Amino acid sequence: MMQQVALGLLTSSVAVEGTSRLIVDIAMYFGLFLIVAMALNFQYGNAGIPNMGCAVQVIMGGFTVSAITTRLILTLVGNAGVELLPWASDYDWVYNNPANVATTNTWLSTEPVFGMSMLLFTLAVALILGAIIGWIIALPAIRLRATYLMIVLITMADASQIVGRNVTWISGGTLGLFIPDIFKWYSGDRTIVMAIITLLVGLISFFIFRTMLNSPYGRLMRSIRENEITVGSVGKNVVGIRRNILMFASGITALSGSLLAFYFSYVVEANYQRALWTYWPWLMLILGGPGNNAGTFLGCALIIAVRRIIIVQKWFLQEVFFFPVAYFEQVLLGILLIAVIMFRPNGLIPEKLLYIPGVNYTMMVQEEVEVDWRGTTTVQRGFSSGIKGIFNVLGGKKSKEEKE
Amino acid sequence: MLIPAIWMASLVYASELTLLSIGFTLTYLTAKIPNFAHGTYAGVGIYVSYTFSKIFGLSPYLGFPLAFILGGLISVVIYILVIKVLQGLGGGAIVLTISTLAIQIFLTAGIQIYAFWLRAKYGTYALLFLLKDFDFRIAGFPGIFAVSMILTVFCVVVLHYMLTRTKMGIAMRSTAEDPELASVLGININRIQIFSWFLTGGMACLAGAMIPLWFMSTPTTGAMIITSIMAGSLLGGFENVYGAVIGGIVVGISEIMLTTWGQELLGAWVGEWRPLIPMFFLVAVLLIEPRGLQGGWERMVASDTGQSILKSIGLLKEEQLA
Repeated sequence: MMQQVALGLLTSSVAVEGTSRLIVDIAMYFGLFLIVAMALNFQYGNAGIPNMGCAVQVIMGGFTVSAITTRLILTLVGNAGVELLPWASDYDWVYNNPANVATTNTWLSTEPVFGMSMLLFTLAVALILGAIIGWIIALPAIRLRATYLMIVLITMADASQIVGRNVTWISGGTLGLFIPDIFKWYSGDRTIVMAIITLLVGLISFFIFRTMLNSPYGRLMRSIRENEITVGSVGKNVVGIRRNILMFASGITALSGSLLAFYFSYVVEANYQRALWTYWPWLMLILGGPGNNAGTFLGCALIIAVRRIIIVQKWFLQEVFFFPVAYFEQVLLGILLIAVIMFRPNGLIPEKLLYIPGVNYTMMVQEEVEVDWRGTTTVQRGFSSGIKGIFNVLGGKKSKEEKE
Repeated sequence: MLIPAIWMASLVYASELTLLSIGFTLTYLTAKIPNFAHGTYAGVGIYVSYTFSKIFGLSPYLGFPLAFILGGLISVVIYILVIKVLQGLGGGAIVLTISTLAIQIFLTAGIQIYAFWLRAKYGTYALLFLLKDFDFRIAGFPGIFAVSMILTVFCVVVLHYMLTRTKMGIAMRSTAEDPELASVLGININRIQIFSWFLTGGMACLAGAMIPLWFMSTPTTGAMIITSIMAGSLLGGFENVYGAVIGGIVVGISEIMLTTWGQELLGAWVGEWRPLIPMFFLVAVLLIEPRGLQGGWERMVASDTGQSILKSIGLLKEEQLA
């Protein structure tokens, strides 16, 4: 049944509508926000860097598509012998954009390899530019206290939008810019392919982050979060490590901006608002559980599903309210954020100990590790203690209390 | 008129920003968090003025006392319901800051909803407005020019008197310095906190009530102005009320004057980049001297050349060094 539906979606040549449309939409946004939320979990949940400037990195991905990829495609298509209107000056760049994109799309409809290579090229450039943005952000702010860092990053998110609005050659200013459709060769709906690709990128980045967190570097990150002075005292370059983390996570975050641009085939700065790309990922992170990958995954899925359904069904809600539903969404965001912080400060799935290969860390800690500084303490390890550990887990707190 | 309109605009804006920056700094001193909702109190004040002038048909100045009390009450409610609870649960600076961001989103949405309610109920357009018509004139000057400056100077003088001469102010300062030690001395920290949140909220809402009398206002004005407030507060050193006065004036005047001069010299496109000026202040202060003017002053007092310069101006006396 599901296979038939999936095949039907993939092979149909008409635009998807109705419930299928909603499913594609949710899948797309889930992929996008999974990237952003996981990067945020990487930075805040594990390294303790409160990155309130996710929107800057996301908008960088969008600008990559509009300013670099579109130019490259137009140049290559022009070299291939297709007649294009002039696009060199700022005015021509915006004014002739729809006509040029339409001409390019007809040419692209027979070039699947070209389209896919453009997608890969964009993702690579977005990764690099995002990392550069992370480095620039880190320059003034990384040595500062957490609250100063938050202030600077929030204002930077606004600054990036102002740049996008006023520098025409980046993304066409307030009018926005159409993007050549690199999936023109696909006969069906472009958005389905885009949703699948985004989901794939999201899952790949999820596993990359997961692997990194369980590596020695992940333990280093957590130790910086807990006490950076101690980490510095054993010879680690704390500022350098925090900058590297910010750069890596920024690069990954920028991918989501590029994918969104291809999904809409259109880039405008208003798509990359601070509220959408910073506060909602923070809500996902805090709801799911900071420091827990599975928690972030769950929080992301829950929030995206609820939010997309509200947006799609907003005409039914609009009859109830006298004001636009968008503000109801903001009220919901504010209340949810405070409620989660108050009543479930550890999120739906609280943080767990990291997985270290070779050491059964979980069971070791389930055993009472009596750290007694006065004398010798035997920390039991091995198979038998593991069995005991399992019983302790099954028994929960009771067994511990009985022993005491 | 002797004073050009653009200078009047920048002075009005600077005095409003000074009031807001003082409040922001006071909150940072007592609660140790940057309150992102501080600008939104000003948004509430804007709509108090709007309601008084457009709905009740009265002078917006009559709404100022109500704006002060309303802002104070909102601030106290936020403190009791959110900040105090989170502090009791052991929330750190980051968690508290995120909660103020959430309050900012919530309050801004509330203001938007109120504006739409006004439209539905009274049929007035409350989403973009200017209340210059409701202003009076003193000797050819718009009333708000005199009122805003007098109110700000009054607030600063009263605050200075209160912080240095009254028991309440000294208790506030000691609570900001070390809450536990203050409570040992018999100071009711909770009452002091509530008082200081009331004061900051009231001042912010009062400053907001003055905004639509000169500047174009929308429901999001309060949320947008927070960058300027933080720039002014950070320039003053973030932990010094007097620094916030200087910072607010400098950022307020330069925000309007630099934009105007830029528009005259380079062209009209500079106007769009106005929000970048406070951001420039923020980044510049953080790069050069993260502790702002206060840090700069301390550095000057510590060095020999700085001391000789200050002595020659007359700012530093011999007995202060001892």
